[in-house]
Amino acid sequence: MEKEIAIKISNLGKKYSIGKEKTGSLRESLSNTFKRSLKIKNEFWAVKDVSFEVLKGDVIGIVGKNGAGKSTLLKLLSQITIPTEGIIEINGRVASLLEVGTGFHPELTGRENIFLNGTILGMSRKEVKAKFDEIVEFSGVKKFLDTAVKHYSSGMYVRLAFSVAAHLEPEILIIDEVLSVGDAEFQKKCLGKMKDVSEQGRTVLFVSHNMNAVNTLCNKGVLLENGKITAIGDAATVVDKYLANGREVLAVQTWEIDRPGDEIAKLNSCRLINENNTLIEYAEIHKKIGIEYIFEILEDGYSPIPNVHLNTERGEKAFISAESQEVNYFVRGVYKAVVWIPPNLLNDGVYTVDLGLASMAPYKLHFLEQHVIRFNVIENISNRPSGHNQKIQGVLRPLLNWSIEKRK
Amino acid sequence: MSKLIINANVKRIIPDFKELLRYKDLFYTLAWRDFRVRYVQTTVGFLWAFVQPVVTLLILTVVFNKFANVDTGNVPHLVFTAASLSIWTYFAFVLTNSGSSIISSQGMIKKIYFPKLIIPLSKAVVGLIDFGIAFIILLGLMLYYGIMPESTAWMAPIFIIIGMIAALGVGIWLSALTVRYRDFQHIVPFMVQLGLYATPVAYPVSAASKNFPDWFMALYYLNPMAGVVQGFRWSLFGGDPPGNMMYISIGVVVLIFISGLFYFKKVEDQMADFV
Repeated sequence: MEKEIAIKISNLGKKYSIGKEKTGSLRESLSNTFKRSLKIKNEFWAVKDVSFEVLKGDVIGIVGKNGAGKSTLLKLLSQITIPTEGIIEINGRVASLLEVGTGFHPELTGRENIFLNGTILGMSRKEVKAKFDEIVEFSGVKKFLDTAVKHYSSGMYVRLAFSVAAHLEPEILIIDEVLSVGDAEFQKKCLGKMKDVSEQGRTVLFVSHNMNAVNTLCNKGVLLENGKITAIGDAATVVDKYLANGREVLAVQTWEIDRPGDEIAKLNSCRLINENNTLIEYAEIHKKIGIEYIFEILEDGYSPIPNVHLNTERGEKAFISAESQEVNYFVRGVYKAVVWIPPNLLNDGVYTVDLGLASMAPYKLHFLEQHVIRFNVIENISNRPSGHNQKIQGVLRPLLNWSIEKRK
Repeated sequence: MSKLIINANVKRIIPDFKELLRYKDLFYTLAWRDFRVRYVQTTVGFLWAFVQPVVTLLILTVVFNKFANVDTGNVPHLVFTAASLSIWTYFAFVLTNSGSSIISSQGMIKKIYFPKLIIPLSKAVVGLIDFGIAFIILLGLMLYYGIMPESTAWMAPIFIIIGMIAALGVGIWLSALTVRYRDFQHIVPFMVQLGLYATPVAYPVSAASKNFPDWFMALYYLNPMAGVVQGFRWSLFGGDPPGNMMYISIGVVVLIFISGLFYFKKVEDQMADFV
């Protein structure tokens, strides 16, 4: 039997203009009216000539590097932003989940936020009421239901937020990397829930950097590069292609438009540096390296904690490091944070870096940008004292102290 | 099954009220959230909503009555001003809050689709609470001074509704303009401050009309609230009836409201790219 089409995308394109800040002032706007003829506009297509069909019941993984247009594609499909060209046809009720806890208000209680978030995600108050007990059960924060969520730990916050989202009953579900927050056990629970969703014959579009998740959950994959589709087909093939393509490195990244972040903080740039604060293209296994990032604080009175996640090539977490020695009360301004990774900790291979900035109490994630940079850790095997010349397995390869003594 | 077509070549220019209706639950929820956050979480809660209008009322009465000797006819100045202030405060509240409303909801706008008109609309609903409080103060003062409303009082709700439409119209314009031009965040408080004096809140219109030529008064009534405040007060206390000039105000209200809806629709689609 021919399967029904859930989403049909034809020649989709989205153009952004870069250069000046997007939000103008009156003065700029007036002066631009006169200068328009002279001004050379700097434009770029975040998504271009994208066409594909999604059948009912498909679980599609959309993969690609940062800036490849994945998020823009999801935003177009969710109607958050409108396309510059092309047509999208969607058959069925859509729910999109581009972050967990959209609209959560820190001053309100868990109970109130369930209603708030539920209606924001498109449920009616009646539907929320009907599913309320189930949501609370799934989240496991029943005891704190009448506590303001600003007192929640980040784990509780995310669990509650995801539980609301998990109880949406759309025919088409659009998800952006939301699973990357929360602890491993809860992640597993969410992946399970997603599997249930797709087994009920619903259609899922899923953007992720976690190739294992794409491999296990999706039956189809779409690879985006520079706003265009470069591979489409069964998930495993697309994942392999992505991994093969992705071996090149990206040691520095700077945002000109659409900086990641919320109204409190935005991420400007990130780069890989050596001890002398100079940009490097790769790391050497026995040398100290630094991950430097620059962010802007737009409002006083927050004390966000910068954190860096290091992932292996396949998307597993190697470690997370957070600046936790002191509480920094940031005033408005631009800041530079550097985390130093000691020599002889990472194994050789490709690592990717996620950058985060989050405030605790009340918990607020200002940004968590995935795969900001990726770099190679290399090793000159001939330097090994042991003479062993094979790749040494493992996510990390710390130089540890051994003691060997003769006992007899 | 619902079907949705997003076509880049078809621009939507007509405000979609059917869709707005579909999102009524979200509208209630947002209004309720604003209300909760505004009143319930502060320690003295509702008290603030009383303190603010009472203090403004006293200041205006001292300045206009005691210093400037403004004549308000047979109604005490305090009651006179309380009546106009109740409706003016509502207008000012909606203006101030809807102006920045889209920007302060940017977290939502960038992550989920919904008709953004809900945001300034919900501010207009929350403002009704402030209006209600100011109205209670007015009723209390009328009781205290033993002032009975005139037989024209049945018209008061009409002026309240025109006032609401005026507030909404300007609020919708400001919320949309602020997205594109952040300057409006600074202009709005200034507008509200200026408006308090450019509107016959603490003085009767006659105090202005006897000092200024007709063409100036025509300009005066371009202020949408001039006619509303005067009319509201007239319906309660009589005297100083609104003349033909008031139709200028009402015309401006209608114009602002309808053009606001269309302008908002025009920029709505780009809001996520701009905030």
